[in-house]
Amino acid sequence: MLSFVEIAKRSETGPLATADDFAMQNVAFRVSALEKKYGLRHAAGTYVNCDDDLADRAWQAGRELILQSGLYSLNSRRVIQFDEQEVDERLAAATAEFTAGAGKGAVRVYRRDVEDRRPPVIFGGPFNADVHESMFVKLNEAFAGEPLIDLLLLPGYLKNLDGVEIRPNSGLSTRAAMLYARWAREALMRAGRPGMPIVGHAVMALNEIASANEDWGLRVCDPRAFAIISELQVDDVTLTRLAYYLALGAPIYISATPLIGGYAGGPAGAAIVGVAAHIASVLLGGDVMHLGPQHVKYKQQTNAMSLWMGSVVKQAVARNSRMINTTSVTTSGRPGSLQYILEFSALALSVVTSGSHLTGPRPAEPLGWNNVSPLMCRLFAEVGRAAAQLGRAEANQIAGALHAKYQDKLDLKDAPVGLPFEQMYDVRTLQPNAEHWALYEQGRQELRAVGLPL
Amino acid sequence: MAEHEAIIERMRDSILEADDDEAVAAAEAALAAGMDPLAALEAGFSEPIRELGEAFNRLEIFLPQLVLSARTMQAGLKVLERALTTAAREAARKGVVVIGTVEGDIHDIGKTIVVAMLRSAGYEVHDLGTDVPLPQFINVAEQTHADIIGMSALLSTTMLRQRDLLELLQLKGIRDKYFVIVGGAPATQAWADSIGANAFARDAHEAVLCLNARARNVTSRA
Ligand code: B1M
Repeated sequence: MLSFVEIAKRSETGPLATADDFAMQNVAFRVSALEKKYGLRHAAGTYVNCDDDLADRAWQAGRELILQSGLYSLNSRRVIQFDEQEVDERLAAATAEFTAGAGKGAVRVYRRDVEDRRPPVIFGGPFNADVHESMFVKLNEAFAGEPLIDLLLLPGYLKNLDGVEIRPNSGLSTRAAMLYARWAREALMRAGRPGMPIVGHAVMALNEIASANEDWGLRVCDPRAFAIISELQVDDVTLTRLAYYLALGAPIYISATPLIGGYAGGPAGAAIVGVAAHIASVLLGGDVMHLGPQHVKYKQQTNAMSLWMGSVVKQAVARNSRMINTTSVTTSGRPGSLQYILEFSALALSVVTSGSHLTGPRPAEPLGWNNVSPLMCRLFAEVGRAAAQLGRAEANQIAGALHAKYQDKLDLKDAPVGLPFEQMYDVRTLQPNAEHWALYEQGRQELRAVGLPL
Repeated sequence: MAEHEAIIERMRDSILEADDDEAVAAAEAALAAGMDPLAALEAGFSEPIRELGEAFNRLEIFLPQLVLSARTMQAGLKVLERALTTAAREAARKGVVVIGTVEGDIHDIGKTIVVAMLRSAGYEVHDLGTDVPLPQFINVAEQTHADIIGMSALLSTTMLRQRDLLELLQLKGIRDKYFVIVGGAPATQAWADSIGANAFARDAHEAVLCLNARARNVTSRA
């Protein structure tokens, strides 16, 4: 079976290509041909795909794409190619279930089917938002204090320490990587959930591996986050981190961010690339595959095209493979606004009924520090649970009704600016303040009114 | 005249269909028919590529179509350039741009779109890719006689490298040689002003508009 070592070797020995040629020849032209071959077209007005055959065709097209295109190794400028047997063997052996975290905090992460009635696993936390060092522990403690959050997700982006900006790969950034892990562990202790798993990718760049430490840092039982760079590319930092974390035995969480309007073309083309990137993630050793589609114009994921595209990719993967998969939920409206709730609920409905777990939510363009809310993550989890009780047709209807409420306010410039954590919570008690509770209640009412069984 | 119109039509179609060979043939035909190369360039190549840029902005077409048509334009342009006088070449030349995502940052989606839009708007663009060390921006700008340096940064930490490059240009005494434009999600007009950049663009379309405004200024001053 294809090993990671073999992939690392191919990134040194595969055929040379320029990044431009890879993007046009290996991706753009092929995606466009596959879109025609498999008759894949975006169904405007559909927010949750209900066509099984279309999902299966998207799977076939994505599988064919990764065999034709391979993965581009950005730094060596070589193409890592795969053959059919390698792909099929690895897919047959893909992780269908694993345990993350330790002791009583351990969480079973399992694959879901389309319209699976089991609740989605919730990957929730600051999700890379700028978190100030002074609020890092408290904010994560509040997230870890939410019982519906299963894994603490990306505890925050430390952009400066002691008032000094952190330059990637500098000594300060190594220190930041260690503090990130130490503070995240402290937050778990304070919340009384020391064994809770942390999905980590500290700061940035290679020196983030300094965050690994069983006693005070990220443990072997904590999943590590990686990204396939769009479209279908990996860089040396990713391969190096993979080599290390695979050797440690940590669960591997890999995201893909295909771009609607970019080299993949429209939503149907981006769905093909999304499937291909999920298969590539399995080949790289991934245990959980995350989709975080981008959109050239909206730069977020709750627009109509992204809703449809996400549902197609998730169904393609859930119906045709053993993969465990999740979807990131990135909105225009920011925490502290009703629009945030409407948007994350629409996307949660679309992907949970399509076989996905949930990652997020987060604003696409956070403004200022600590622009995230644990209470909103609770509501997100509640929506996810309710969505698991629905079929795709019902979910489509409700997602459509929600989309109608926010579709005119998708432009990031005009979307509600929201509030920082400190203005939504009492930071001494770590409880939401009265206004934030009121927003939570108002959100629940609005969601019930459009038919969500909360 | 009808012949000239037919040639312009061929040039337009070659761009819209991204047919490099046809663009070259139509440009040769324009020269053979004694057409003014600058006027042919504007009506036959620049106008349709602008239309495509706008169509992309409205998401009626996608990035690959824009990239291919921009390449076709380059192929046709090479033919017309032979016939341009130095003054006309200068007038046709909108600017040479050196662009990249700054060091420590690998986000390239937005930068790639800016590159495609600039190329389609007629700029000569040298794309340095991502994670670009600051001296490389300067070296390539000097080598290619660029007039514009563009920096993309998506992280609030790497955004600081935009500031550093401006300081570096200052230190080398070549700040005034370049029009520096910055962009990327965390950047704002206020940030651009505070570091002394010449321009900020919120998206690729704005980047084109803003560099076009500069090009018009330069031409009118010349
Ligand atoms: C020269 O003149 C100009 C003029 C205009 C210019 C210009 C230059 N450059 C851009 N423009 C403008 O025109 C473009 C086209 O209209 C626009 O470009 P944009 O890039 O803004 O828009 C694109 C069309 C679509 N937008 C994007 O492509 C970016 C989308 C988001 C989700 C994003 C993505 C996709 C990725 N990421 Co990154 N990522 C996020 C982003 C959140 C967001 N919504 O912005 C952001 C930027 N990431 C973030 C983070 C933290 C990170 N990411 C990282 C990695 C990645 C991926 C690899 C997974 C992927 C990049 C894939 C790729 N090939 O680029 C890591 C950093 C890696 C590194 N060293 O760079 C990592 C550090 C995560 C981690 N812990 O490892 C956050 C930054 C937070 C901060 N305060 O800085 C972030 C805002 C997400 C969030 N909501 O918190 C304009 O800005």
